[in-house]
Parts: sequence; structure tokens; C-alpha cells
Amino acid sequence: MALIPGLSRRQFIQSIGAGLGTVGLMGMLAEQSAAASVAPAVHRVGPMFPPRAKHNIFLFLPGGPSQVDMFDPKPSLAKYAGQRPNSVNLRTERTTGGLYPSPFKFQKYGKNGVDVSELLPNLASIIDDICVVKSMYTFNPTHTPARALFHSGNIAATRPSMGSWISYGLGTENQNLPGFVVLGPGGGGGPGLRSGFLPARYQGTPIDDSQTRPQSMIRNLRNTQLDPAAQRRQLDLVQALNRGHERAFGRDEYLEGRIQAMETAYHMQFEAMDAFDVSSEPQAVREAYGSSPFANGCLLARRLVERGVRTVHVYYGPGQPWDDHSKINNNLRNRCPDMDKASAALITDLKQRGLLDETAVVWGGEFGRTPVSESGDGRDHNPYGFTMFMAGGGFKGGISYGQTDEFGFKAVENPVSIHDLHATLLYVLGIDHEKLTYRYAGRDFRLTDVYGQVMHDLLT
Amino acid sequence: MMRWALLLSLVLVMASAARAADSIDGNTLFEQHIRPVLVERCYECHSAQAKKLKGKLHLDSKQGIAQGGADGKILVQGQPEKSRLIEALKWTDPDLQMPPKQQLSAEQIHWFEEWIKLGAPDPREGSTSAVPASAPKRGMDLETGRKWWAFQPVKEIAPPDVKDSAWASRKSDQFVLAKLEEAGLKPSPKADRRTLIRRAYLDLTGLRPSYEQVEAFAKDDSPNAYEKLIDQLLASQHYGERWGRYWLDVARYGEDNPTSEATNPPYPFAWRYRDWVIKAMNDDVPYDRFVKLQLAADEMPGTSRQDLVALGFLGAGPVYHKDARNSKDVITTLYCDDWDERIDTVTRGFLGLTVACARCHDHKFDPITSKDYYALQGVFASVCQVPRPMAEVDPQTETRFMAAEQRLFYLSYAANLLRGEPGSKPKEARQKVERLAGEMDQIMEDMSFLKSQHSDMYAQLQQLARRPQPYPQRPTTQPVQPIADVQPAPRRGRPNANAGAGAGANAFGNRRRRGRGGSTAPFFEAVFDAGTYIDGSDQDFTMVNIRPGEARNMPVLPGGNPARPGEISPRRFIAVLSRDDSTFHEGSGRRELGERIFTDAAPLAARVIVNRVWAWHFGKPIVATQSDFGVQGDKPTHPQLLDDLSARFIAHDWSLKWLHKEIMLSAACQQASNPRDDAMRADPTNELIWRMNPRRLDAEAFRDCILQASGALDTTMFGISMDLDQPGNNRRTVYARIGRGRLNNYLQLFDFPEATMHSPGREVTTTPLQQLFVMNSAFMEDQASNLAEVVEKVPQGDRIAMMYRKVFGRDPGPSEVKLGADYLAGGGTLAQYAQALLSSNEVQFWP
Repeated sequence: MALIPGLSRRQFIQSIGAGLGTVGLMGMLAEQSAAASVAPAVHRVGPMFPPRAKHNIFLFLPGGPSQVDMFDPKPSLAKYAGQRPNSVNLRTERTTGGLYPSPFKFQKYGKNGVDVSELLPNLASIIDDICVVKSMYTFNPTHTPARALFHSGNIAATRPSMGSWISYGLGTENQNLPGFVVLGPGGGGGPGLRSGFLPARYQGTPIDDSQTRPQSMIRNLRNTQLDPAAQRRQLDLVQALNRGHERAFGRDEYLEGRIQAMETAYHMQFEAMDAFDVSSEPQAVREAYGSSPFANGCLLARRLVERGVRTVHVYYGPGQPWDDHSKINNNLRNRCPDMDKASAALITDLKQRGLLDETAVVWGGEFGRTPVSESGDGRDHNPYGFTMFMAGGGFKGGISYGQTDEFGFKAVENPVSIHDLHATLLYVLGIDHEKLTYRYAGRDFRLTDVYGQVMHDLLT
Repeated sequence: MMRWALLLSLVLVMASAARAADSIDGNTLFEQHIRPVLVERCYECHSAQAKKLKGKLHLDSKQGIAQGGADGKILVQGQPEKSRLIEALKWTDPDLQMPPKQQLSAEQIHWFEEWIKLGAPDPREGSTSAVPASAPKRGMDLETGRKWWAFQPVKEIAPPDVKDSAWASRKSDQFVLAKLEEAGLKPSPKADRRTLIRRAYLDLTGLRPSYEQVEAFAKDDSPNAYEKLIDQLLASQHYGERWGRYWLDVARYGEDNPTSEATNPPYPFAWRYRDWVIKAMNDDVPYDRFVKLQLAADEMPGTSRQDLVALGFLGAGPVYHKDARNSKDVITTLYCDDWDERIDTVTRGFLGLTVACARCHDHKFDPITSKDYYALQGVFASVCQVPRPMAEVDPQTETRFMAAEQRLFYLSYAANLLRGEPGSKPKEARQKVERLAGEMDQIMEDMSFLKSQHSDMYAQLQQLARRPQPYPQRPTTQPVQPIADVQPAPRRGRPNANAGAGAGANAFGNRRRRGRGGSTAPFFEAVFDAGTYIDGSDQDFTMVNIRPGEARNMPVLPGGNPARPGEISPRRFIAVLSRDDSTFHEGSGRRELGERIFTDAAPLAARVIVNRVWAWHFGKPIVATQSDFGVQGDKPTHPQLLDDLSARFIAHDWSLKWLHKEIMLSAACQQASNPRDDAMRADPTNELIWRMNPRRLDAEAFRDCILQASGALDTTMFGISMDLDQPGNNRRTVYARIGRGRLNNYLQLFDFPEATMHSPGREVTTTPLQQLFVMNSAFMEDQASNLAEVVEKVPQGDRIAMMYRKVFGRDPGPSEVKLGADYLAGGGTLAQYAQALLSSNEVQFWP
């Protein structure tokens, strides 16, 4: 392995800066660049225009939450219950039956009267901070591809996730913590944190939020044998050896870079122990969020953005709990309370700390569910029309945007595709989605590929 | 790689997703009032038919309108007053008046405003006209393309004159020196002997020499000592472990699939392909044959059964999960993605060409057409991935067996899926399950003749033929009413929907029996010629059928959209590289594809592999974009050197060992790697090779060298893979299990490439998370303890020196002894000291 194999010097310079602990290296390279008067068109790390948000948090509900039971009331479902009008003959993953009414009562909340069902009382109470989009749509009715679409804008397994793109575009603010953290029971994984063809350092760091001890969440975070002072002494020895070695060899990017990375790692042990320790929160705060893994995840998300982490994803897991092919009504009654409580607590907490303005929060699943039943008391996957919501970070509060058809099956008014969502999220972070590109296999790739429109209507 | 074709096609085929925007009124409005005006008044300048496209604006597709033109977006959905399109139509801006010659009528403009208010619904399907297959080519035509440098024949070139006649030791050095002299630079002095032997060991075996080996070499002043060393290392069995692993990056070797769901479970026999690669490297199988075997060993006469294992290159290629409940077009698109991966890996990997860029349209830069792409797609649409038996078996029986494997696998998947999740038509589902299970029984009966002579094969079929759970005794007599208030009987045996990674994960109820850990049953991952056909005749359930021996010619899919096939592109080789009619006639055409790569395209194939091998030795390629020798790629820094070496490589029968020796014996490769101020200023990236590039050990060599230093390295070769995190796994890293869905944490941390795609070369990162591993992991602590245990056996005064010999293969200097003594005297244990040494830069550095 050379220091820069397969990468041109330009790409290498382009690629540093967003990762962890490349500061020393970056400084040196910048210096050398100047000395050699190499002036490549570098990939600029940082916003392209004044951003509305510095951080983003995704609350991801795997499986596909049901829009007609939460945000998108459809009286026609009751009126035509059990029937199957032609307009609901859309092909989903499985064979479906007739229209299936929602048993949940809706009310209008906030200054503009946004519909929210009785399942979500906490979110309803802060609806004026929330931008509900009822007209989301995506392109595949099966979980895995739909989730890949949701996270990376594409089904192909080679594509980077949006969190990786954001790290690549913006870098991180805290060199002692990963720039992109994925919280989920068991540690998350899959396309959500994939760096694909982007350099590996942009990959999301999976953290198991069903654990509450930081050393159980992050691999190799603690040294089990040495106390900090003894470890410092050991590290001093390593660095003395390294300095001697570098004197003998001569100045070298890698040698210097690794000396720096060792120091960063040493400090990271303590910084991360603090950042990931939810038990240090006051009891009142912990109670506001609740005690489920998802609640821990939401609370950790706040602690992390507070410390400069760019992107945090919180998975409601494990598995795909929101995939209610049967017994959906009971399931929602059981599952919504802690989700509702923790999601609302996060938004409230961010707001109270003055962080909501600079943090874009996005809530949703890889698709929604059908208004028609599956197996009598369930709902199938529905990519044609579903609800997501955003809060903070330049999104308007207290509005409802777009409409689905009479039955809540497909988006018909102001439809917002998954690419539009990506374009808009990048926009609030100060990135033009058409300009954030990476050269791979012969062409320049984007998160939004050839699609995506910034949805200015959603923004303040 | 125009993978977005997939997306686009899904948009189109999923009937309504793409049209989610459109109410019926909107569409009607568009058809009656918008489209006719666009056609009549705008297309002349703003469409694919335009003689000269104006303002980079396409109005002849939904895409084009959404994208806007050179000055950006032209409309804001729902807001005509903010849309530049309306501004242009209204002629309010004197600089923006469209159409320029005559304004539209007020009524026509009104309709455009109404249309935008509705969100600009646009029912037009098809690829964006910005990139239609029929668009005027922006890439090269064939004639020009044939003149591209990388396609020219390679021939030996007379070396240039150089002033310093003493430096060069191989022919390649003269090309290097001529460029250095031109730039006024001198090469670096020869590396000292201790550096040279360490470099050579790591380079050719991925392991370090022992202290004794270093010292013996340092003292050996015979003139051919270095050459002897290289010969000895090339003959070492460890050579194949090192260089086989390099190849596995090119071949994106992995043992499962990105999602590993019901239809794309892990490959339990993939490790045999890895072992085959190691053996082939050690045997110095000529590179052309090495590649041809991986494409078509089964179709090359006289090939041994052992060499058929090479087919794992295709047999364990990554595939996507195809949930059979999706429509025919969705399933077809997923197959197209699988085939796309093969085209990409074969063309970038072997030819340095980005042919996959031509999936939706002709290549925008290189002389590669969509027809070329689909001609190759036909090859991969005509093969089926199934395990083959290790034992010799007559061809007819083997073909029947393989066809049965595929069929049983699919029937079993389908039956279990419908049994577990019957959906809203349980009665129909039950009938289908019974039919599918019946066919499984029939196949098992037909294949029962295997029991006596080939019991392993019969067992393999039995394992695939998983019968769905029997239905309860009591037959369902109630009519099925998929209506809300009718509670269906609880479905027994339905797997927990939350347990799996994806919906399909549950469908193949016994997927876990195949396990993730691999199998030693006598089979290997492979392919055989059988056309793949997708049968969408059942609206609810899409079947996949194969036809053994039948090859498919595929249609060009403009925009990559399988719902709108274009003309058939018969299987053949890439036109610009073909010397004559290259149509494939034998089966899928795999063998002919391999032949053409090494006849018609031999110069390109040779340049590509010579460049890769050069890069693996020097840490820096001659052509920086190792898998793109096209227009968008970089030009060679030393074109004559590359051509000459490639020509001689071919002349030496494509022998990689010859190539290694030629490179390793060069003066350029024996230079010291220390920085020099003058040269750093003149050529900071070492483009001219004024020094050897200092490198860093990759994930494999780093771990192997730590194990070697601690004395724990298990050098057993070959066999089933083990997870790196498995306690007591002290084998070389090349034998680690490689996951495509979840890569081992250590490998991921140290820049191992994702095995889902061809890797043109690894990037190298230096991150704090790597250092946390080095400082705190159980692996490092264990190896430090192992090392301390060994060193503790020698007298106290010798321990530091002993430790240095084990870790660095050298003696410590006085200041290093003092550092160590001070550390130990201050309370540090020998194990902690060992870990400090193992953590230091000198271990990972490869000067």
C-alpha cells in the first residue's frame, strides 16, 4: 500500500478534512501543495452557501409506518370499507383486500390545523414546530431496495448513504467524535451507514443504543488494563519511538498523520465516554424521553449534535417493527407511545437549548402502508404515497404539505420524491445537491443522481 | 455506471409511482394544451431533435423540464409567478423572450400557468431526452476510437539514451532514468540491504523476514544474492497468499450477498475459489489462461476438475434479492443489475473500460455503445449460478443436476414464501404451494438415480428441496373475505416479521441451515450455460425459469428501462476492440469472450494488468486510474515503459512471476524511499520515480505481521474461512471470511474494500478508530502477552533486544534500549512494552 494508491494526489487532498484526525496530515499537504504550486480544483469541504442547519437527525422507523393511522385521515376508508374501487388497484408487494378504515380519531392541531391522530398526543402538542409532508413517494414496494433508496437514493449496493455524502461534503466539527453516527439496537447497519464508493472514513459509525454504557457501545473505546495515566505513559513511549523513527527516515505524511491520529484516539476515549453517557443526564430529562432504546437514541442524538456531530440516525428497532402486515391497530397502540414521547421530547429539548434552528430533524420510514387491508387486519407496503415530517433546521413549523388521493394511497398534490427530500436536506445544510459529486467508475455521481428538486415550499 | 437506470425503470414500470404527480385532469391539460405547444414551438431548439440544443434545455421530457437549462431551473412547481418559464413566455424580460420569433397567445400562456399551478404534471415516460440512446453521439465514433492510445498494439521499444549508463539494471530503468534526467533529477541511492530484504519479503509474501534471515542477507555479498532472494520468495507458498489476495480485490471476492435474503443466500463454497486463486498464483498460471478459466473453465477443453473451481469468479458474484411478489419488470430490473455488475467487473477489471456507463445510452466519452453493453449482457443473461460437484461426473448428469438445483431452490423459496405469508388470497396461495411442492417431489423422484452413485449430489438436492410446513389437518372451508372486520384464523408458523433483516429473509424458513459459515461439502460455486427467463404470467407471483443450453440475445434498453426494449443486440465482443465479426456462437459466449479479451484486446488487457502489478509493487500506478483506460482516465506517466513492459510480458507467455522479477530487479524498485529535499520540491508526488514510494502495510499484512511477531501466526494454508473475530483465529488474514453485507470490523477499519464491487485499488486512511484498535483491542493485548511470554524466557538483560528482533527484525539502538529500560523500570510490564512496540509506526510502515 502506498500512501496514496489508486488515488491521485488531487483526490487525496479532496478527500481529507472530513475524516477524523487528518488535521496534521491536511496541514502538511496544504503546505506542500502551496510549495509545489499545485493548485488543483479541490473538493471544498464545507457549505457552498449559508446553511440553515449545521446538523441533521434522522428518526427512522424501519418497516414503514402507516400514514392513514397517524397523519393522513381518510373518511372515505370508513365509507367504502371492505370495497375495492379501481383506484386502489395499485400493485404493492403482496395481494391485498378491501379498504381498511383507521380506528384512530384525528383532530386538528396548531395554528394551521394540522391533522394528527390520537396515537401521537405529544407530537400533536408541538405541531407548530413540525412540517408534515403527506405526499412523499418512493419507487419500490420491498423493504431492502426501498431502504436503500431511502438512505442512498438508489437500489445499487455500491451507493453511499446520504450521511456519508454529508460527511464528505461538510466534514465534522468535532475531531474527537465520528462525524456520522448511526444509533440502533444491535448497532444498526446496512445501506444507512454505507460509504459505498466514497472513501471508507465517511462511513457511519454504528452504535448500539440498547446499551447504556459507552464502553459497550463503541468497540475498543476503553483500555481494560491501564488507567489513563499508565496509558498516557505507554503512549508517550510509542510516540518517542515514532519520533525517533521519523527522524531516521525523514519527513513523511503517513508517519506524521499516524502520530496525530494516536493522540486524537487517546482523547477520544474520554470525550466519547462523556458524549455517549446518557446516565449523566438529569433524571427529569431522561424521564421526558422515556426509557426505551429509541428514547436513549433520541437523547444521545441531542448529546451528539450538541458536541458537533454532523449526522445522527436513530433507528427504531431492532428489525423492522413498523412492518404491520397483520394486527396493525393493536401494534400501533403498543408501539406509538414511546416513539411519540421520545420524538417529541427530542424536538422540545433541542428547541429549549437553542439547537433546533441549526438541526434538521427528519422522521419517517422507507415507505408507508396501504389503505387496503392485507390478511384482514394488516396493511401492505405502500411506496406511492406516505407521510414524513421534518422539524427545525429551516423547515416551516405547523404546516401540512401535499395530499394523497381520496384513500391515502398515492401522492397526488405536490408530490415529494425521496430524491426531493435528499435535495432539500442537502440544501438546508448548505449543499447544492447537483454540485456535490464524486468521480467513480468513469463518471461523476451525486446523491440525487439525475433527480431531485429542492422543496422550497417547506422552508422558511 | 448508469445504475440510475434501475431507478428510472422502476419509476416507469411501477405503473403509478412516477405518475403520482398527475391527477387525471393534469394529464389531460398537459396533453391538450401543453404538449402540442412544446412540440410545435419549442422542440426546434430544446429537444433531442434540435440541430443545435439551445441553453442546454430539454423540453421534450419530464426530466428535462425538471432539470432546467444552463441558467438553472425553469419552473417552480405550483408557482407560475416564480417560474422563469412563464417569465420567458410573457416576454417581460427583454433578454428572455421565448419563443424568440413570435410570442405565444395569451390563452396558451394561461394554460402554462394553470399547468404549473397543478405542479406541472408531465405524463411523458421514457429516458430523459438529455441522454437518449438515439442522441447524437458525444463520445467517440468507432473510427476515432480505434486510434485511442490504450487500444494500440504493444511492441517492444528501443530504450532511450541516458547519460548515466551505470544506473539501470533492467530495461525499464532506462525509461525511468530518461524522464528523471529530462527533469534534472537524480534517482535515489540503492536502499540498504536490510531495507531491501524486508521490502522484498513484504512485497512478495506479505510477511517479514526473521532477524536471522535479515542478518544473513546483510552479510551475503555474492553478486546475485538479491536475485536469489527474489527467486526464493517467488517460489514460496506464501507468495500465492499475498498476490492471490490482490487479485481478490479485482474479482470482488465475497462469501455472501449484500443482503443475503431468501433468493440471495450466502455462498457456502466460495472459499474454494479463493484457494484456487492462491494455487493458480503459486503455479504461475499464465495470466491470460488465469482469466479465461475464471470466465469459462467449463468450456475450455482439457481443463481439470480442480480448475473448474475458477468459475467461482462468476458463481459467487453478488446478486440482489428478488422478492417474487414483485412484478416481472421489477424482477427483470434486478436481474439487469446483477448482469450489470458482471459487465462492470469484467470490463473494468480485465480491460480497464467503463462499459457499464453504456447501460442507458452510448458511452459519453469512450467509443462504447449501448449495443456493446447489451451484447455483453446477453452473455451473462445466458448463465445460471449454482454449485457444481467437485467429483468428476458425466456432463449430462451434471447439467441435469444443476438445472435441478436451480429449480428446487426457486420452488422451495416460492412454496415457503406463499406458505408463510399467503397474503390476502390464502386459498389461491395454498393451491400454489401444493403445486410447487408437487413439482419439488417430482424433481426429487426424477433425480433419485443419484442416490447410489452420487450420494453427495443427492444430499445437496435434498438440502435445497425444503418442503413447506404442512397445512393444518382441518381444511379451510370458509370463503375467504379479505374485508376489514373478518378476522382470519391465526396463521400458524408465520415467522416473526420483525426478526429478519428484510421481508424476504423470513420466506425461506430454513435459510439458516445453509449457515453463514461456509460448508466443506464437496461442491464449488460455479455457473453453467442456461438462459434466465422471467415469467410474469401470474399477476401475483413472478417465476424465474432457466433453460439449460439456451443462450439469450438481449435487446438494447434505452434509458435502461426493461419495459421498453429496443432492438436486439446479439452477443458479441466490444466493437471498437474487435478485429472482425466478433459474434459469439458457442453457448453463452463466455469462452469466446475470454478469447477475444486475449486476442483482439490483448494489448489493452496486458497494459491493464501490467499497470496493476506495477502499482502493487511501487504503491503507485503508471496509469493512475487503474480501471479506467478510457478518455476520462489518466494518461500513463511512462507510456513507453508501459508499452514495452506489456509487450515483453506477452512475449513471456503472460507470466506474472516473470513480471514480478523484472520489476523487483529493476534499479527503480531498489531505490531508497527516504525523502530528498530537492526532489520533493520538484516532484512531490514522485511521478518520475526518483525514489521508491514508502508504503503502509494493508489490513492483511499488518495483522499477519503482528501475529508473526508474537509467535502466534498459524501458517496452515487453504480451507474454509473463519471470522477474524473468532477467538483463537490466528490464521493469515487471506483466510478470513469476507462478508458483503457486513464486513468484519477490523477489515473495514483498515481500508479493506467493499466486496460488492470491483475495487480498482485501495485507499489508505489513518484514523483514530484504527488507533483505538491498536491501543485497546483484545487482539493487540493478546499478541502483546504472547510476545511477552516468549521474551520473558530470556535473561532480563537481553529482553529488550529480543523484543526488537521479534518485532522489527533488528537490534535496538542505545537510545531505544534506554527508552525501553526506563519504561520497564517505571512500572510498565513487559506485555505493555510489547504492545507499545507493536503499536509503533515502524511496524506498519513499509519503506
